[in-house]
Amino acid sequence: MAANAGNKIRNAKLVLLGDVGAGKSSLVLRFVKGQFVEFQESTIGAAFFSQTLAVNDETVKFEIWDTAGQERYHSLAPMYYRGAAAAIVVYDITNPASFTRAKKWVQELQAQGNQNTIVALAGNKADMLDARQVPAEEAKAYAQENGLFFMETSAKTAINVNDIFYEIAKKLLQGQQAPSPQAGMVLNQRPNERTVSSSSCCS
Amino acid sequence: MAEAAADSSNSAVDGGGSNVQNDYPTIDPTSFDVVLCGTGLPESVLAAACAAVGKTVLHVDPSPFYGSLYSSIPLSSLTSFLSPEASPPTSSAAAAASDSRTVVDLHRRSVYSDVETSGTVPEPARRFTVDMVGPRVLYCADEAVDLLLRSGGSHHVEFKSVEGGSLLYWEGCLYPVPDSRQAIFKDTTLKLKEKNILFRFFKLVQAHIAAASASSDETGQGDASTKIPEEDLDLPFVEFLKKQGLPPKMRAVVLYAIAMVDYDQDGADPCDKLTTTREGIQTIALYSSSIGRFANAEGAFIYPMYGHAELPQAFCRCAAVKGALYVLRMPVVALLMDEEKKHFLGARLASGQDILCQQLIIDASYKIPTLDVPFDGSDSWKVVRGVCIISKSVKQGSSNVLVIFPPKSLEEQQVAAVRLLQLSSNLAVCPPGMFISYLSTPCTDVSAGKQSIKKAIDTLFSPQASDGSEGHFETTNESTEDVKPTLIWSCLYVQEITQGTSGSLLSCPMPDEYLDYRNVLGSTKKLFASIYPDEEFLPKKSAPVYADDASDSAE
Repeated sequence: MAANAGNKIRNAKLVLLGDVGAGKSSLVLRFVKGQFVEFQESTIGAAFFSQTLAVNDETVKFEIWDTAGQERYHSLAPMYYRGAAAAIVVYDITNPASFTRAKKWVQELQAQGNQNTIVALAGNKADMLDARQVPAEEAKAYAQENGLFFMETSAKTAINVNDIFYEIAKKLLQGQQAPSPQAGMVLNQRPNERTVSSSSCCS
Repeated sequence: MAEAAADSSNSAVDGGGSNVQNDYPTIDPTSFDVVLCGTGLPESVLAAACAAVGKTVLHVDPSPFYGSLYSSIPLSSLTSFLSPEASPPTSSAAAAASDSRTVVDLHRRSVYSDVETSGTVPEPARRFTVDMVGPRVLYCADEAVDLLLRSGGSHHVEFKSVEGGSLLYWEGCLYPVPDSRQAIFKDTTLKLKEKNILFRFFKLVQAHIAAASASSDETGQGDASTKIPEEDLDLPFVEFLKKQGLPPKMRAVVLYAIAMVDYDQDGADPCDKLTTTREGIQTIALYSSSIGRFANAEGAFIYPMYGHAELPQAFCRCAAVKGALYVLRMPVVALLMDEEKKHFLGARLASGQDILCQQLIIDASYKIPTLDVPFDGSDSWKVVRGVCIISKSVKQGSSNVLVIFPPKSLEEQQVAAVRLLQLSSNLAVCPPGMFISYLSTPCTDVSAGKQSIKKAIDTLFSPQASDGSEGHFETTNESTEDVKPTLIWSCLYVQEITQGTSGSLLSCPMPDEYLDYRNVLGSTKKLFASIYPDEEFLPKKSAPVYADDASDSAE
C-alpha cells in the first residue's frame, strides 16, 4: 500500500470476542458505518470490516474480524486469533453471565495469541444504566489486574465507540513493531499476468 | 497450534469449577437442511457451498479442532491421532425407542495402520505441525485456488511458494526439473541435445493447449495443424513421448515430475494405470498456467502457512458467514430412520439430542451402516505416508522443495513414484533451522510401499550420529559434494483410500495419494450435484462483501 509522503499506514488485524448477544457486531457497525440495528440477529453476512483511523500524523487501517457466530458453541478456529494485533472482548453490562464468559475469552486469548496483542475490555449497552448488573469498578479492576484497558460503550448511543478504537490505535502506534517477515502471500482476486520474456537463443 | 486451541477452548467451555466431561450444549434450532459431521476439506467445502445457496447448515466435528482427516496436528499429538483409543460413543440414555423412529448406530474406525516411528522428537515438540494429507500442494492455477477466491476464503489464508522447485532423482543423483522453457534454457545439467528435444516438446504442447482452448472458446476454427491428433491423444503418454524422441531421462521428467504420474508407465504387465496423452497434457497445462499466475509466487506450487488445515478452516468460516452453525467436540452417534428404515429423518448427536435434516454428510472415518460387508483391506488401495524431521535443506539455500523418485529409480521392485515435499520454518510449521519432509507412495502391497518410502529416506538423509565423512550425496547442480541432511525423527504410517459415496447418507472422500486436491474436489463437486442438482456449486459471486468503508474518521 503506497504511503503518503510523511504518512505511514499501519495495517492491523483486530478481532472481536465475547458472548452471543453482547453486541460485538453492533459495535463494529457503529464504528464503521455509524449504524445501529435494534434486535439484530446473530452475526451473519460479513467476514470483515475495514476502517481507517488517523492518529496524529499516522494512520491505522483496521481489518476487523467478526466471529460469524462461531463463538456460539465455542468453535472459533485458530485462524481467527492468528496474527491479531488487537482484540476487543465485549460483554453486556446488563448480563453478569456475559462478563463471566468475557473473562474466559480473555484467558483463551492469552493462551492463543501472542503476548503483544492489545486487549480491550468493552462493557457494552452502557445506555441501559437502569438495568446494570456489572459494576464498572469490578470490570475496571479486572482489566487492570490482567493488563487490559477498559471502557464502557454503547453501540446504540455511540458512547465511547470511536474512543475505544482510537485508544487501540494509539497503543498500536506506541508499540511500533516491525512487520513480521513471516507474513505470507494472500491470493489476489485479479492475478497479475506476468509476461515471460524468454531470452532464448533461436537456433 | 490446533491442540493449544483445543485445550484453551475446553477451558473456556468449562465453568470455573471442575471439568465436567461431555458437557454438551443443546443445539438450537433442531432442524436443518443439511447436517455435516467432520471438518475435512470436502465437508468444509460442501458446508460453504450449501450455505452459499441458502441452505440451513449444522456442521459438527467430534474433535476439538478443525480438519478431521485433513488436519494439521501438533507433533506431540500425532501418535494418538494415528491410533485413537477405541471409545465407541454409545448413545446416551435418551436412546430409548422413540415413537415412529428407528435408531441406527454410527461407528467410527481408524483409517491409519502400520505406524512406525524412529528417532527422538526434538524439542519443543509443540512448534512442529504435521499435515495428515502430506505431501500436498496447491497449483497456483488449480481448482482449490479458484474455490478460495470465489468463496472469499482466500482472505483467511496466507501462502508461501515452493520456491525451490522440483528435483528428479535419477541414477543416484538429484537433478533440477526443467519445467518451463526458461528453466530449460537456464539448466546447466542438460545436454544441448536434451534441451532441444524438450524445447520442441514444450513448444508442441503449448501450441496444442492454445489451439484447444481457442477451439473450445469457439472463436473461429483453431489452427488444426497445431493440435495433437486424436489418435496420439488416446495413446499412452509414454508412447507419445517415445514418438517425440524423448530419451528415458526426459520421459521421466515429463511423466513423473511434470505430469505427476504415479505408476510405472514402462511396466511389463499391461495394467489400467497407464496415463493417456490427453491426461498427461491436462496436468502439464495446469502446471504451465500455474507458473507466473501470481506475481509474488515463485514456481508452480504454493503451500498454506501453518499447514493444510487452514483450508478447511477458511471454508468453514465462509459457511459461518452465510449462517452455518458450528459445533466442535460433538460426534454424531446415530442415524434416525422411520419405523420401516425406508426414509432418513435425521441424526442423533452424542448429547442425545435429535436433529432433523434432509441430508447428512459424514467424513470418511465413519462406517456406513448399509454396507454391512466386512471391510476387505487386502483389496483396497492405500497410501504409505512418511513424515521426517531433518537438520537442513535437501537443496542448499531453498526453503521448500519437491523431490520426485520415479518408479524403479530406488530399486527394481518400486512400482510407483515416491514424492517428497520438504517444508521449512517460513511456513510456521517447524522451528528455524529444521525442516519437515513428507513422503508418500500409493500401493496395494503395504510392505512394498513402506520399503519404497524407507529407501527414499535412506537415499536422501543420514541417520543420526553419522559422522560427517559418511553419506556424501552428489547434487549435480553444485560443483561440490553436499553432506546429507541428518534424519532426526521419522514416522511412517499407512492410510486407506476410499472415494465418496452417494445416497441418503453421503460419505466424503479421504485424502488421496495425489499431490494436489483435484481428485478430492472433483468428488466433492459430484456429491454436491447429487444432493442439489439444480444449484450452482459456490457461485462466482458468493464471496461476502468486504465492508471496506474508506472514509477516514479522524479524532
